[in-house]
Amino acid sequence: MLLPRFDVLVPETIDDACAMLADYADDGVRILAGGTDLLVDLRRPIIPQHVPRCDGCPTHPEGQIATTIECEPSKSDPLMSPEGSIRTKLADPKSAAPAFLVSLHKIDQLKGIELLPSGGLRIGALTTISEIERSSEIRKDWTALAHGADSLGSPLVRNRGTLGGNIANARPAADTVIPTIALGGKLTLQSSSDTRTVAAGDFPTGPGLSVLKPGEIVTDIHLPTPSPHSGSAYYKMANRKALEISTVGVAVWMVLEKPGGPIKDVRVALGAVGPTPILAKSVGKVLIGKVPTDEILVQAAKAAAGDARPIDDHRGSAWYRVQMVEQLTLRLLKSVLSGIENDR
Amino acid sequence: MKKIISLTVNGVSHEVAVEPRRTLLELIREDLGLTGTKKGCGIGDCGTCTVLLDGVATFSCLTLAIQADGCTVETVESLAENGQLNRLQQAFVDQGAIQCGYCTPGMLMTTTELLRRNPHPEESEIRRAISGNLCRCTGYQKIVEAIQTATEDSDE
Repeated sequence: MLLPRFDVLVPETIDDACAMLADYADDGVRILAGGTDLLVDLRRPIIPQHVPRCDGCPTHPEGQIATTIECEPSKSDPLMSPEGSIRTKLADPKSAAPAFLVSLHKIDQLKGIELLPSGGLRIGALTTISEIERSSEIRKDWTALAHGADSLGSPLVRNRGTLGGNIANARPAADTVIPTIALGGKLTLQSSSDTRTVAAGDFPTGPGLSVLKPGEIVTDIHLPTPSPHSGSAYYKMANRKALEISTVGVAVWMVLEKPGGPIKDVRVALGAVGPTPILAKSVGKVLIGKVPTDEILVQAAKAAAGDARPIDDHRGSAWYRVQMVEQLTLRLLKSVLSGIENDR
Repeated sequence: MKKIISLTVNGVSHEVAVEPRRTLLELIREDLGLTGTKKGCGIGDCGTCTVLLDGVATFSCLTLAIQADGCTVETVESLAENGQLNRLQQAFVDQGAIQCGYCTPGMLMTTTELLRRNPHPEESEIRRAISGNLCRCTGYQKIVEAIQTATEDSDE
């Protein structure tokens, strides 16, 4: 079956790509990176139950859909009701079919992994998941992201799929996004009129929804310099080892003042337990400034579970997911701690 | 409107006019007549359409032909040497790793990439490498054994 008709534009610089996105905005234009999600979404579903791949997926066969997801109450956010539920409306896939794709594959500026003089790391948005998986720098100093890359899709998906694409798709279970949030990653978003930086955790706003404006491209992912006595890890819990979307994903990043000493900083990010990846802020309140003991780690894991906002679906019940957040957080906190201790 | 792209497929340079929506798979099978590469699911789940794009195992069904402009493509037809099955292909035959044949071109190309990167993979590395290639006959065990045989042979 043929893909629907569209034209493909092939810019060679980021500026040209931004200009094309602006020029063709009214005709319907989408950014093509690895294509492992976009080209699937553009194809008419062959097997209806295959789609949506997750709640809120814009390729739902019914067309326009709305999902209700439990969320923290908010009066300021118009999408959320004060009772604590969010309704996300997604576009009809037929009307959303783009007339143009801007394919980024010839933009070398968007490729590559680069240690910065400051000690941080810049990853071009078009870097493939396989390249991240094989980067010894990332595995050593930004371990959680290497774990995320290991567990995404299949080797063939990883060979084509890109970090920028995984982020821009804004799926609540995205395997490289949960670690990027825990690691304190920042994203550079560029359009023809503006360049801005957004914390990875602030980027997604709902399933498939993000702060990315029409005409903007995710160009770089910056990971901060690893602190002394720090470590990170990610664990994807899923029914299969490949080609699976997680039931729960947990990423942990932790810094100690000194070996054995109090916890200086910690971030726990949760995947597949809310409409977006969730930064479990309660964990910091329990752990920061404390000497890590088994007791306090258990408390922290319970706090993480309290921050999860899962729904029931075919991958697992909300209740089960909350239990797994607690268990996986505890397990990861312990393994990151022992990693830091063994490193000294 | 069609666009002109140039690419090298199995050592032969081609200049082809393609519709923007044409996939690399459609180009290989229908325009170039190389039907060894198969279409399976069309959505990146089965891996039978795998080719090597600049040496990287790639879903040809989820790659637009335009994205392969200027690239080198290797398909399953490139594996045989002087009309003889290569070591890996022969191992698939000898070990009974070919049943219905649905997955075979993809399995061979994915494994070719693996063995170039890692000529002596552990069993776990083999299983992980082919985890994106679906075998409908669930004959994974024989496929793994075939790949192991092919790597043992190369020790001689």
